[in-house]
Amino acid sequence: MSAAVRAPLPWFLRVLVAFVRRELAAVGGYRVAFVIRLFGFGLAVGSLLFLSRFVGAAVNPHLALYRGNYLGFVVIGFLGTDFQQVGVSVLAQRIRMAQVMGTLEAEVATPAPPWMVLGSPPVYEFVIAALRSAAYLIGAKLLLGLDLSHANWLSLLVAVPLIIAAFSGLGLLAAATTMLVRRLNPVAMVIGSLSFFLSGVMYPVTVLPGWLRAIGRLLPLTHALALLRGALLVGAGPGELRTSLLALLVFAGLLAPVGAGMFAFALRRARSDGSLSHY
Amino acid sequence: MSDAPAIVVDGLGKVFHSPAGLRDMLRGRLYGKPVTALHDVSFTVRPGEIACVMGPNGAGKSTLVRILGGLLLPSSGRAEVAGIDAGAGTSEFRRRVAFVVGDERSFHYRVTGRGNLHYFAALHGLPAGLARRRAGELLARVGLRDAADRRYQEYSRGMRQRLAIARGLLGDPQVLLLDEPTLGLDPKGARDLRAFLRDEIIRGAGRTAIVCSNDPTEARAMADRVLFLDVGRLQSEASPDRIEAELGL
Repeated sequence: MSAAVRAPLPWFLRVLVAFVRRELAAVGGYRVAFVIRLFGFGLAVGSLLFLSRFVGAAVNPHLALYRGNYLGFVVIGFLGTDFQQVGVSVLAQRIRMAQVMGTLEAEVATPAPPWMVLGSPPVYEFVIAALRSAAYLIGAKLLLGLDLSHANWLSLLVAVPLIIAAFSGLGLLAAATTMLVRRLNPVAMVIGSLSFFLSGVMYPVTVLPGWLRAIGRLLPLTHALALLRGALLVGAGPGELRTSLLALLVFAGLLAPVGAGMFAFALRRARSDGSLSHY
Repeated sequence: MSDAPAIVVDGLGKVFHSPAGLRDMLRGRLYGKPVTALHDVSFTVRPGEIACVMGPNGAGKSTLVRILGGLLLPSSGRAEVAGIDAGAGTSEFRRRVAFVVGDERSFHYRVTGRGNLHYFAALHGLPAGLARRRAGELLARVGLRDAADRRYQEYSRGMRQRLAIARGLLGDPQVLLLDEPTLGLDPKGARDLRAFLRDEIIRGAGRTAIVCSNDPTEARAMADRVLFLDVGRLQSEASPDRIEAELGL
């Protein structure tokens, strides 16, 4: 046989490709919103430059671990929060929108299993978030002078999948809760607020009193930021970051199955009370 | 064609529990007053038959067809469609049974008819090339070839119904469940769509269908048999020429 037959992509990848195509086709109708979103994120990162000039000029013992690099510290805090936001909110948002728009019922009526129907948006948004993070890190390095000369890329490579797995587990919990209580994502609101306060987004956790630090350790973002900063600013290897890596592994190992179980329960409840087609 | 019924509905019941209001919660109740949408409904449909479920608004037609489509779980009884329990929610069930959602909101407004079909073809597991071919064939078959690359939001009501039918046929199902397929169409558009559905989509392909409607014209034009549903109970069944007599018109 001379002609090579191209094997079809696995089913989930076909769904993912079709989803991305549909999203890109729809983006044409949301050009202004897309530009405003990009512009808003750019402004937010720009404002961090001035914040870092204001804070970073002083010699601060809490930033000693990060070589006094407050710009790097806060940019990574910001990007980590963005990642958590994607993980916790996308699936719940997608379900809510599909219920409001009325597409969810038609989608789950197809042979694709529910995880496949609902799995594409988080994958797509994580890829977009990763590209956005890379663009902002490069932009911050080139335009704002962010120092990434000590970065350990191997640590980053090990950390990112674990961070995504832990945030995805939270996302499943958030989506299940949103379906069950039919309110705006309560998990995202609670986790988002607590994490911003206790995970060291804007300031190192060392400034917190011991009991607040202990609570902060129960949040995945605390460990995600420790990993990202350790890898990108300190240049720590995976061995040096093992405590945070292990913590995230535990979060992922616990949250993913619990979230998946709760999500399956919520979906069954929706099939029982008829809320697949309305919100 | 097998003699086994294509659809078996046995003692089907559905009770909805609305969320508790403040007064219910103060009384320690988690749910509001239960609403019975279906009560002990039983019937069968032969392979190749078109059964029309008629009844006034709120009779339970949409609840019934959603249970048959596997989108809603019954509270009691069972429903078997194309040889598979509708409550099981398996992929194979959804391959054999298509629930044609006439709901206008069930497509992406800003995407073309063709783009929408490509997306749903992927959810049916069709490889990209086959999905493109199948979408093209179906768009031509439902008369949307020229409008295929227009955005869904520009479609008329009739075009939207036709696109919903094309989506229902992506997986080449054995059983079609149609909930008020010509709702809101002008008389000529409705007549043409009924003839198309009956002659080409259902009979022409040897499919079985359940059509929910409260329009006697629709039932007469499409059905082999009519089931009358009221306040969630199956009241009677008759041939299409007995519709007016059954409804007391």
